[in-house]
Amino acid sequence: MMRDAQTVSIVMIEDDEGHARLIEKNIRRAGVTNEIVPFTDGTSALAYLFGPDGTGQASTGRALLILLDLNLPDMTGVDILSKLKANPYTRRFPVVVLTTTDDRQEIQRCYDIGASVYITKPVNYESFATAIRQLGLFFSVIQIPEAEA
Amino acid sequence: MLLAAAVALLAIIVMSGWLADSTQQYSRSVSRISALRVAAGTLLSQLQDAEIGQRGYLLTEDRQYLKPYETAVAAVDATIARLRDLADEDDGELRIVDRLVGLAAAKREELAETIALMEAGRHDDSLAIVRTGRGMRLMDDARQALADLITPADAQLDTQLRALTGQARISGWVANLGGLFILLVVGGAVWIAVRYTRDLMQAQRAIQALNDSLEQRVSERTMELQRANAEIQRFAYIVSHDLRAPLVNVMGFTSEFEVGLASVAAHLDRQPAGADDAKAAEARRAVSEDMPEAIGFIRTSTTKMDRLINAILALSRQGSRTLNPEPVSMQTLVENAVASFRHRAGELRCAIDIAGPLPSLVSDRLALEQVFGNLLDNAIKYLDPARPGRIAIRGRAEPDRLVFEIADNGRGIAAQDHERIFELFRRSGVQDRPGEGIGLAYVRTLVRRLQGEVTVDSVPGQGSVFRISLPETLALPSEKPAHDA
Repeated sequence: MMRDAQTVSIVMIEDDEGHARLIEKNIRRAGVTNEIVPFTDGTSALAYLFGPDGTGQASTGRALLILLDLNLPDMTGVDILSKLKANPYTRRFPVVVLTTTDDRQEIQRCYDIGASVYITKPVNYESFATAIRQLGLFFSVIQIPEAEA
Repeated sequence: MLLAAAVALLAIIVMSGWLADSTQQYSRSVSRISALRVAAGTLLSQLQDAEIGQRGYLLTEDRQYLKPYETAVAAVDATIARLRDLADEDDGELRIVDRLVGLAAAKREELAETIALMEAGRHDDSLAIVRTGRGMRLMDDARQALADLITPADAQLDTQLRALTGQARISGWVANLGGLFILLVVGGAVWIAVRYTRDLMQAQRAIQALNDSLEQRVSERTMELQRANAEIQRFAYIVSHDLRAPLVNVMGFTSEFEVGLASVAAHLDRQPAGADDAKAAEARRAVSEDMPEAIGFIRTSTTKMDRLINAILALSRQGSRTLNPEPVSMQTLVENAVASFRHRAGELRCAIDIAGPLPSLVSDRLALEQVFGNLLDNAIKYLDPARPGRIAIRGRAEPDRLVFEIADNGRGIAAQDHERIFELFRRSGVQDRPGEGIGLAYVRTLVRRLQGEVTVDSVPGQGSVFRISLPETLALPSEKPAHDA
């Protein structure tokens, strides 16, 4: 079944707390009030997404939108993306890759693996804020499937 | 060894010469003695012939028998003269010859006398003279004298011949010795040559081995360098990425700060201006002047830092971009590059000439476009406003390279900066033009990747010449890209 946009949680995997705070502020400015679950490293994010047993059953019944940074201290975001897309419970969750890298091949790779959107963090703050707010608007209209049991 | 051989050979030659000389002397002496002996014999036989003729005549009174006498008597003088010629003064031979002359004369006289008496018809008187035995005695004396001459001569001949034989034996020995010695020397020479050749071949093998190991070392070193280069590029890439993340924060929170400041300023503006409240005035000044100024500086700095990071990123990407060598018409490439600057050049009243046709090459087109674009941009940017700009682009083929020059009459570059300007973020002269000091570093990186070199000649106040030398054909080593950027 599909969840109402309001009940969707946003999982933010971002090691830079400054970035996380700026992203959150701008999402809120766009009028998005969904719960944001922040993680600053890959290990804890994976523990949350796949549960302590690592099967992914923990995500049963959840409706999640994942904001993913590629440069994490303990693993690369690409690893997390691959795991999410390979797991039957999590593979339908939209993943927004949000990172500083504008490397063409990296972008292609993320889309190949199954990223929904790839956004380069602009250094120019106005562009950054605009991008995040538009992402917020995007959140408010998209439909997110609930993980099947 | 060779010196000893030469000395020995010289000795053999001298000895042979000496032997030949003494052999010749001996031969001369032997031939003289032989001739002397023959002449003595001849004389004796002539005297006997004369006597035979006389006896025959006396016996028969027939003049027919006088013929041998007449012939012999006529020849005696010549034989005596020959004997005198051949006689050796030292050995008393001449004395004997003189005696022989006397005897011969006396004999001839005796013979003539008997013959004359016979012819006169005094037959008995003539025979009486013969019967005195004087003629016989004279003949015996002459025989004795000739024997005196011949006997020592024979002895001498014998000695000389023995000496000659001895000499011949010595000559033979010397020749044998010489031959042996020549064999030894030749053998030694062959041995030395063989040894040298062997040493030479060994040395050659050693050089070959060294060469091989050198090649291996060079290729190892090259691989190390390539690894180091790749490492640096990866490093630059990572650094520039990781530097960007905090920069996003600095800029982001600066903006947040600005937004907050705006709301504080708006709030203060709504407060009634308490004229005597120093603290409020200070706060107002902070909000309206100091803080916006600080934010402005933070903004400028972060913007600049962003540009620098982007430059490093661009350089590191350039270092790992896969080159694509293709035939490039430099004439067309440079014409296009110049065309894109025409507008700016026209504004500055600057003439750009291409001294074509430029030589073509096989290289990476994109990199060449960027190189010439950057150099033209610089040439125009740093023209001297005091005079109309003139920029010339030339090209020529040298033995194994192509050389291109971009010459301007701009403000020039001080000598101490000729190398520095190619470093990242370094600039030269008055800093009155926009720029980060990236262009020439970029150009050098590109040109070096194209296996070329870029240098500058410049006189401040007169202009600069940037010289690019490139291989005619870019041969790519099988290098692995450092990073898939």
